[in-house]
Amino acid sequence: MKHFAIAGLMAATALPAMAQETMVIGVSIPAATHGWAGGMNFHAQEAVDRLEEVYPQLDFVLATASDPAKQVNDIEDMLATRDIDALVVLPFESEPLTGPVAAVADSGAWVTVVDRGLAQEGIEDLYVAGDNSGFGRVSGEYMRSALPDGGKIVALRGIPTTIDNERVAGFEEAIEGSGIEVLDMEHGNWNRDDSFTVMQDFLSKHGEIDAVWASDDDMAIGVLAAIEAAGRDDVQFVLGGAGMKEMIRRTADGDAMIPANVTYPPAMIGTAIELTAVGLTSSAPVSGTFTIGSVLVTQDNAEDYYFPDSPF
Amino acid sequence: MTELRLDSVTRSFGAVQVLFDVGLTLAPGQVHALIGENGAGKSTTMKILSGYLAPTSGDVLLDGVPVTFPSSQAAEDAGVVLIHQEFNLAEQLTVEQNVFLGHELKRGFLLDKRAMRDRTAALLDRLNCRVDPRAVVRDISNPDKQMVEIAKALNRDARVLIMDEPTAVLTEREAEVLFEQVDRLRSDGVAILFTSHKLDEVKRLADVVTVMRDGHVVAQCPASDLSEDDMATAMVGRDVSSLYPERTGAVGDEVVLSVRDLRVPRFVHGMDLDLRRGEILGLAGLIGSGRTEAMEGLVGLRASTGTVTLNGAVVRWSGPRDALDAGVAYLTEDRKGRGLLLAKGMRENLTLASLGDFTRGLIDEAAEERALDRAIADFDIRAPHRGVVVGNLSGGNQQKLLLAKVMLADPDIVVIDEPTRGIDIGTKQQIYEFVHALAARGKSVIVISSEMQEVMGLADRVVVMRGGRVAGEVAGAAITEDAIVRLAMGLENTVRHREPAA
Amino acid sequence: MSAASADTNPGARSGPALDLRVLGPILALAVLVLTGAMLNDNFLSYANITNVLSRSAFIGIIAVGMTFVITSGGLDLSVGSMAAFIAGLMILVMNGLLPTLGPGVALVLVGMAAALATGLVAGFVNGFLITTMRIEAFIVTLGTMGIYRSLVTWLADGGTLSLDFGMRTVIRPIYYDGILGISWPIIVFALVAVAGEVIMRRAAFGRHAAAVGSNDQVARYSSVNVDRVRMLTYVFLGILVGVATIMYVPRLGSASSSTGVLWELEAIAAVIIGGTMLKGGFGRVWGTVIGVLILSLIDNILNLTDGVSPYLNGAIQGVIIILAVILQRERKADA
Repeated sequence: MKHFAIAGLMAATALPAMAQETMVIGVSIPAATHGWAGGMNFHAQEAVDRLEEVYPQLDFVLATASDPAKQVNDIEDMLATRDIDALVVLPFESEPLTGPVAAVADSGAWVTVVDRGLAQEGIEDLYVAGDNSGFGRVSGEYMRSALPDGGKIVALRGIPTTIDNERVAGFEEAIEGSGIEVLDMEHGNWNRDDSFTVMQDFLSKHGEIDAVWASDDDMAIGVLAAIEAAGRDDVQFVLGGAGMKEMIRRTADGDAMIPANVTYPPAMIGTAIELTAVGLTSSAPVSGTFTIGSVLVTQDNAEDYYFPDSPF
Repeated sequence: MTELRLDSVTRSFGAVQVLFDVGLTLAPGQVHALIGENGAGKSTTMKILSGYLAPTSGDVLLDGVPVTFPSSQAAEDAGVVLIHQEFNLAEQLTVEQNVFLGHELKRGFLLDKRAMRDRTAALLDRLNCRVDPRAVVRDISNPDKQMVEIAKALNRDARVLIMDEPTAVLTEREAEVLFEQVDRLRSDGVAILFTSHKLDEVKRLADVVTVMRDGHVVAQCPASDLSEDDMATAMVGRDVSSLYPERTGAVGDEVVLSVRDLRVPRFVHGMDLDLRRGEILGLAGLIGSGRTEAMEGLVGLRASTGTVTLNGAVVRWSGPRDALDAGVAYLTEDRKGRGLLLAKGMRENLTLASLGDFTRGLIDEAAEERALDRAIADFDIRAPHRGVVVGNLSGGNQQKLLLAKVMLADPDIVVIDEPTRGIDIGTKQQIYEFVHALAARGKSVIVISSEMQEVMGLADRVVVMRGGRVAGEVAGAAITEDAIVRLAMGLENTVRHREPAA
Repeated sequence: MSAASADTNPGARSGPALDLRVLGPILALAVLVLTGAMLNDNFLSYANITNVLSRSAFIGIIAVGMTFVITSGGLDLSVGSMAAFIAGLMILVMNGLLPTLGPGVALVLVGMAAALATGLVAGFVNGFLITTMRIEAFIVTLGTMGIYRSLVTWLADGGTLSLDFGMRTVIRPIYYDGILGISWPIIVFALVAVAGEVIMRRAAFGRHAAAVGSNDQVARYSSVNVDRVRMLTYVFLGILVGVATIMYVPRLGSASSSTGVLWELEAIAAVIIGGTMLKGGFGRVWGTVIGVLILSLIDNILNLTDGVSPYLNGAIQGVIIILAVILQRERKADA
């Protein structure tokens, strides 16, 4: 009896492997703690649902982490218990995640890194990234064209990170020599409440502000509320970023305060997952670096960037 | 052999001088009793001896050489150890961990647990104490804690042992065990100083007595030269031979409180009790006999079952609020832990239990102040100033404040648990007078006490508890120490002492 | 020493005329105001003062409730998440009823009622677990903190819950308008603070809360219903979180998982800066108000000033918090 049972079990497990091997793709991303991350979570889930239908031989494991330590645990668990064949990771922070992701690469699994690069080069098979310098540069160039005679602006920065530094550097480079003067810069932490407070204080401090680089649509919402409450009409416009659907809608509708936007699409995670699935299931060459550029959105092309179903 | 001596020591706190020219000698192999009322300067003297305080002037001499202990740690290193009345033990640690706290034995980097356990067991054996070295201190009894403190001191190789009221928390039998150990330590050549409010103990134990009053040494001589009366007179500065006032007022016939089959899980297993109007009922028994638990169960501080009839009507109290509203108050034995908010002032403490009477939407602070005026006058509360934090009052004045607080709710029945624990003779006398005055006004009082003299001196009738049950009761002329002890210890031939109540 | 009779000798040790425990927070606030005024001309302008006071109101209203919780020996870490959750729920309720009730005062009142009711229930849950189930306040509220935070993330589907645009103009005045040039959040904060101060000092409930925090055994033996007092402090705090949320939602008309992050710590810090004892037993509401103002002024001044790296904001805040507490420490008298 016992022998029989074991033989049956072996047959059961061996069969599908002969037919077609199931492969597992792990997806590890930060939790939805702010608007952009919320959008990114949405797109990740959407991509996983869609690809599971397209590729029946693929299994997906999606984990969201609220801090780098939790993300390290997630990745270690995926490797140890799910035996993943590929990992798509958007690292919370570069340094702490480098070792664990390298361990996944060493196990022979495919590694796709999204948005934030690792601290060490050459670990990943595929790098899908937004262009942070480009994001800053496109923003700066728009500022330059919108204020041809120069002007006084204030800027809000995100959470102090490499991403934020690259964006600001790109922006500053683009406006150099344009006559645009940056009166002040403070961290609004990609947060509506924080940016509201910072903008209120900017308005108290500076009697004349021509424009605001809010650098993010969540922060732009806080900035707009502060300007409206103060009743100041010297501020001509606010430039946000990342393409939140409500802001894109207002740009499309011709709102003078929000004449433009700069994309930094949270959908890049979906692209990364899809490319990984293609790389795993076909012989198409998908390795290398895949940069998703930042695009200027104005009233003319806003409809193309409006996704009403996305939470962001 | 170590001798510790104070020579012309004075001590001031700010402008207030509390010690004047104090001299005393702790000699090897001698037991020295330091007595005096609360506030006489005993604690300050002990703190100077043991390095907790430095004298303002004068010398501390160790074997004839002036020393200054920069800390109590330095004093301990020199073999001088103070055992506090409120024990200085880490409650969460085991007995052996406490004994070796700060002086752990090590083998290399690791603790040598076996050696420490063996040493602890040997020390406890020497003290005739049967507590397990691995027991957690939180779980052991007060007398055992006392023994652990002494074991800790011996382990530090104490040559001078200073004990602040070592018997305050012990029953007489437990105290007897302690005395045997003190005798043994004396014969080992240890110099011992202790304080006590129990003069019979002083008589029993001490070789030399120093009496202090208001910061001065008022008497110092061999214990055999002083009778207990002499000591009391020296302490108080007046004659206190009649400690218990004459009983005035008669016990009524009317039963105001009747308790049937009172049970408190684990502690009280069926207790019956009747209390008459104007009666002072003593509730005696060994510590652990369920006296306190029974009364806490009665007023709803503990879960209990049974039938309580108050003035002829059956009542059911779910908490102390109900009992107090019905006119029954319980005054705890633990005045520091359960009676008073030590960090608050007298006014807040006084009105806490009857705040509703002072509140019409908001608290009427003027009325509170008036109540405090009355309490200070009625109960003779002596405070350094009106805004004093209650923790800084002497034990006697705390007890009077606690009495005032309970009486503010104007109860008809008062249960007073250990009314005079740790307070001086003068205040004791006052408290006894309050109790009598209450009874004379037609209130009924239950007094729980471990002090036999107190029960006998105060009560019209004594109920003795043993093992969570009423062992018997004695009344009137039958109230003798012998009768009570026999009932408390469960000796058979007590039955003939029992008298029908009233 | 103890012989001096109570009413003849009141002066000797009744405390020095200048008590740092009382003056400490006031002094720290005065120094901050002076610094601000020196660094920037606009600091004392009507607009800036209104800004600072209005934005203090959320934390301030919560911190008044927190003062009672801490005074009675408790702690509530869940208030920040609770605020986010209540804000999310309030928005959902108003959006959901907009088609039936239409944009108007009635809908705003329904939203407010929902916020207050949710706050009351949330406070009751904390209080129930702490008093009846006898679980440590730290653990209970750490747990509910995570629960509310993830509930709001779930309600918002990871993104942001936004009040329907038609509703915003109706509700906006709650944050931005007021009477006699004083905005509503400031008025509500002032009313809550005054009521809190009176209750703490002059009502039986305040006295009982301090007694329970000082020694719950003494309170129990003094016929105080300890569990009820504790429970009420949490319910009271929950309702105040609801009030704070009613002020918050009109400001930006949105709530997300990043709403109210670290509010609990700011509220606790304000309470402690104000002189309430973290271990309980003593609380003062006016001190808490000063603590809240100190915290918001630090942010405000740093934003109004150049020359300090924004990376150091946290460090400056930390130093000032610690200094404010050191300033008011009781100098140990001999005893």
